[in-house]
Amino acid sequence: MGGTSETISSTFIEYAIFIVLLPMLAFPIILFLGHIFNGNQTWVKSAKEGGLIALPIMVASFVLSMLLISEFIGKGTGGHHIGDWLSFGWMSADGLKIEGKAFGVGIYIDHITVMLLFVASFLCMLINIFSIGYMNTDPVNDNRNHRFYAEFVLFCSGMLGMVLADSFLWLFIFWELMGLCSYLLIGFYYEKPSAAYAAKKAFLTTRVGDVFLVIGLVMLWNLFDSLDYAVVFNEDLIAAVDPGQLQLALGMMFIGAVGKSAQFPLHVWLPDAMEGPTPVSALIHAATMVNAGLYLVARMFPFFGAEAMHGELVDLAFIIAVIGGITAVMAAAIAFVQDDLKKVLAYSTMSQLAYIFTGLGAALWLANSLDWHHDSKAHDIVVVAFGAALFHLFNHAMAKGMLFMASGSVIHEMHHAHHDLHHHDDHGDHGDDHHDDHHDDHFDAQSMENMGGLASKMPITATAMLVGSASIMGLPLIGGFWSKEGIIANTWRVALDDPRFFLPAACVLLGAAMTGFYMSRMWFKTFAGKPKTEVAAKVHEHTPWIPIPLVTLTFVSLSSVILAGMMFTHWAGEPDGGYAFFSKKGMLKGLIYEFEHVFVNSDPFFFILTYVAIFIGAIVGPGMAMALYGGSLEDGEKAKPWMQPIINLSSRVNAKRGFDNSAWANSGLSNALKERLYFDKWYDAAMLKLVAGFANISAAFDRNVVDGTIKTIESTSQKLSTQVRRLTTGSARDYIMMAALGVLVIYLLLEVMI
Amino acid sequence: MNVDYLSMMVILPILASIFLLILTSRLNPAARAKFDAPVRMAAFIISLAMFAVATLMFLGQIGDVGWNDIAFNTFEFQESYVWIEQLGITWTVGVDGLSFPMVWLTTLLMPITIIATWNEKAGATYFPLMLMLGGALIGVFVALDMFMFYVFWELTLIPMFFMILKWGGKDRKYAAQKFFIYTFTASVIMLLGLLTMYFLMDTQTFNMQEMVVQASGANASGVWLGLEVQKVLFIMLMLGFLVKLPAAPFHTWLPDAHVQAPTGGSMMLAGVMLKMGAYGMFRLPISLFPHALEEFQFIIMMIGLVSLVWGAIVCLGQTNLKKMVAYSSVSHMGVILLGIASMQPLGWAAALFMMFAHGIISPMLFAVCGAFKHHYHSMEIGAMRGMAKHSPWLATSMMFGWMASLGLPLLAGFVAELMLMVAYWYAYGWWIIFPGLVLAITAAYYLWSMQRTIFEGGEATQPPESLHGEPVPDIDNSEKIAMLLLAAFTILFGIMPWIFLDMMDMWTRSAMAFLGLGGA
Repeated sequence: MGGTSETISSTFIEYAIFIVLLPMLAFPIILFLGHIFNGNQTWVKSAKEGGLIALPIMVASFVLSMLLISEFIGKGTGGHHIGDWLSFGWMSADGLKIEGKAFGVGIYIDHITVMLLFVASFLCMLINIFSIGYMNTDPVNDNRNHRFYAEFVLFCSGMLGMVLADSFLWLFIFWELMGLCSYLLIGFYYEKPSAAYAAKKAFLTTRVGDVFLVIGLVMLWNLFDSLDYAVVFNEDLIAAVDPGQLQLALGMMFIGAVGKSAQFPLHVWLPDAMEGPTPVSALIHAATMVNAGLYLVARMFPFFGAEAMHGELVDLAFIIAVIGGITAVMAAAIAFVQDDLKKVLAYSTMSQLAYIFTGLGAALWLANSLDWHHDSKAHDIVVVAFGAALFHLFNHAMAKGMLFMASGSVIHEMHHAHHDLHHHDDHGDHGDDHHDDHHDDHFDAQSMENMGGLASKMPITATAMLVGSASIMGLPLIGGFWSKEGIIANTWRVALDDPRFFLPAACVLLGAAMTGFYMSRMWFKTFAGKPKTEVAAKVHEHTPWIPIPLVTLTFVSLSSVILAGMMFTHWAGEPDGGYAFFSKKGMLKGLIYEFEHVFVNSDPFFFILTYVAIFIGAIVGPGMAMALYGGSLEDGEKAKPWMQPIINLSSRVNAKRGFDNSAWANSGLSNALKERLYFDKWYDAAMLKLVAGFANISAAFDRNVVDGTIKTIESTSQKLSTQVRRLTTGSARDYIMMAALGVLVIYLLLEVMI
Repeated sequence: MNVDYLSMMVILPILASIFLLILTSRLNPAARAKFDAPVRMAAFIISLAMFAVATLMFLGQIGDVGWNDIAFNTFEFQESYVWIEQLGITWTVGVDGLSFPMVWLTTLLMPITIIATWNEKAGATYFPLMLMLGGALIGVFVALDMFMFYVFWELTLIPMFFMILKWGGKDRKYAAQKFFIYTFTASVIMLLGLLTMYFLMDTQTFNMQEMVVQASGANASGVWLGLEVQKVLFIMLMLGFLVKLPAAPFHTWLPDAHVQAPTGGSMMLAGVMLKMGAYGMFRLPISLFPHALEEFQFIIMMIGLVSLVWGAIVCLGQTNLKKMVAYSSVSHMGVILLGIASMQPLGWAAALFMMFAHGIISPMLFAVCGAFKHHYHSMEIGAMRGMAKHSPWLATSMMFGWMASLGLPLLAGFVAELMLMVAYWYAYGWWIIFPGLVLAITAAYYLWSMQRTIFEGGEATQPPESLHGEPVPDIDNSEKIAMLLLAAFTILFGIMPWIFLDMMDMWTRSAMAFLGLGGA
């Protein structure tokens, strides 16, 4: 990076390893204690079945992370080499010399690390708090929560390790560790066949991506003889590498990112992963693990930004953007027809991650084709483009983590309301058999068809959900608005230079309207209108622990305007991480700068683009959703003052609507979307019919032909040796005797021959 | 005090085994059963002592060896005695970076296997056979005399043969015979190769160390014995080792032997006996015939690739849990051949580490299969579901073993796979697609089998009929201890691979330099 970055001296970097090790060591401890004390009242009440052991660990990790961040933020990069992990001999290509090489272990910190470290440690901590509220008050989880917390901390350790790792190798190692935890946590309700299936599907789908990632890493190692960031990001070494080979290696690694971040065509696992408990969905499938793929692509920036690679890697940048564009629209379309609250959020996650991929693709394209090392205007463009993508990652993680937790809150209270109702109706008491009703009845606590009108009943949750949705939709000034505008604008900027980019550019613009629609649809179906079931009418917010993270994240999402004023985008995008916050000399100046750029852009094209995006994302999409799904609350119910006007508006729009959507609801396209565009069906068919079929044929071939040949030889020779067979008596003594005889024969043979 | 520990580790268990077998051989079955517990304890203590000696050797408490500095063709703890003077046959033992990890592994697996099969029936005969097997295996690894090597090579067959024959499953007779005939035929070809080589040598010797010196001296300036002869001898020796490994298409004895063998037999068979094949390759044909190795490099790679891919695909089509695990061994052993064929020190080190890692992981897999069979009286995948609920220990062990075997990072198997991939891409480029494919297939068959054993099975699934309505038991304490130990070592060598990798690295580097190999 032009050699401008300087290494920061740090006191905390030596202890950074504990950010990873603490949760990792907590894993066996919680598992072991849980095994011993399972069912013990003290363990259940005081330790929350491990939840209160996990929490201090996560808080400690967070505090250590913050100390580390405070030393590096806005200053530059740093590294701490701990040692060599694998050392081995490597023969030079001419076969004359064997050199020693090694894979090392260490910590690497720059602006991307800092941002993700904050996201990961902060959300892990909040989700831990949420879990104590969610998991420990549901009888179905009794006696297995220690397993949840153990796997949870191991997962957190994987995520934090991946972020702090100083080489692509250790990134991959922790990446796989997260994959394992994701598998375990999705299959948490192991007795449910659907959970078992979903867990397997998630692991295998991401594994397909991982195979390519490994191949990519191996190729990269062969180019640089190292996977350490400190080595591979060196401009001089990059200059010595064949660009075609590098592009291929990075492309392979990108496929790994596609799998992990659930992008087309390896996206099928994410919606099924909602089989896991809701805190898992929040943590893994929204806030952290799916960001791993984005992180990997963001890490490739130095290759694209290197002067020696100028213009050589644009094809890969285009592929990254177009995969993102396709996924953004596809996932948003599927989200239109989902009735399961968590599934809507799952597709929304997919779609938003795709936004970030498109943004990264555009930023990488710009970095690769502009002369940004010398031209300060080009430098600004690259920085803002890259920063916008990373800022969206940040905003999305915060908002989506909150949305999932809010959805968990809804589902949890729906469950409880249903449980209470059920017992009052059938038994009139809270019997001991409350395990049964989770299995017996078919009430779906996650279906939005059973909700409605919850705004007045769950004010905190509804507010959180509103802010989260607004952030995802990009309503002006809230959360994702800043970053989303940046992504759209930069994709179009590239499209003006490279016509291929019109496809992703059109996709992200269209996606903005679609996001506006499906997020509003979700909110209105859940919180506005009249309760659609008896259960929804009885819901209360009363589970402790849950509001804390919701309120916290609501404020974080609302405060993104402050972050924008602090020039977050510039800081996140500046390749050497040396861009300090408040560098526009204060909050106000920074805000004015941002406002100018977004709302009164001097370039007429971008000026119009901004308002088109705002119009379709914040007015057309939500307007359509209001027309279809809006409605006023039950008489006498009143939501909080900041939500009531929205509900009233939706009811008015809904009353005025002049069209009927039943034709659409029964159309072929709608059915195709409900079937998730048949991807899952075809993949399953391919696995079962082709792969399993081929495997069965192979097994039969091995048994009958490969082994059969041997058997034929054997039986023929046995016929010939019926005489000798009499010796096969089956007695140990005779065999030892024969062996001894054999040795004697060999001995005699040797004797004679010599 | 100068004690020949290596020879003791070979002779003592075998003598003890013979003594214990003779001691109880004249008794009637009822009286013999009384000896089960004391004999087991004796075998356990002897094997534990062997493990202690091997570990102390490594830690430098016995002898003072710089393990990471042992160059190719130099040996530690070397002792030599005249055995058959007229023929120049000696009893020569020694260890180097190639053999010591295998010796240590054998001594580790013996006590663990005894623990895992603590309640095996007819223990008074079973446990001595285990001792004999262990002694013979160590004999193979420490032998530096070709004759001695062959004697122990064949000796390992005998206890394993009886283990399958006496403690095996329904078709044990067929499996034992097949195992014996198949591997015996192969080793006869190997013996012919060894003898031919012996008679063609300029200075006839059985001492492997001297043979290597002689061969390398001739190879430096030309081709020892001539290229054609080298090629023929290479093929003859390799055949014996490939069958043992086993590599496709000579692998079909393995699934039969494993399915019929008792748990302890399977653990030792997969853990150490298969590695005799790989060990033999490095010790004899590769060390003696580097020119032939270069000639056959691509063919070896193809055999390895076919084993790897074919084994994995066949795994996917298995309905029998133990057969699936057996085929997965075939698949993993293919990695060793790929490592050899990469002609990089890294690839060879990957092969050596794979021998070691698979030696810890596969016994765990077979211990899980054994426990499954022991408790559910069935080997069919899907016969027993929902293990996570009723048998959490077995479920955890299974998941751990399966994950280790499919190459999860920070567990031992991953190290070998990573190193192999790096070396393999360097040597063969896009052929890497196939090992990559196998990584995915391996995950597929393991995960699919876990879906149908550990998961599922709420109220819908019934326990198998073979249980006759008895409550479903989890694994017993001895099995738990064995699983925990194996899991602990899998983690240890996954996180700290350098413990043995450094000496393997030294061996492969110095070997390649010594043999003048290089450049793919």
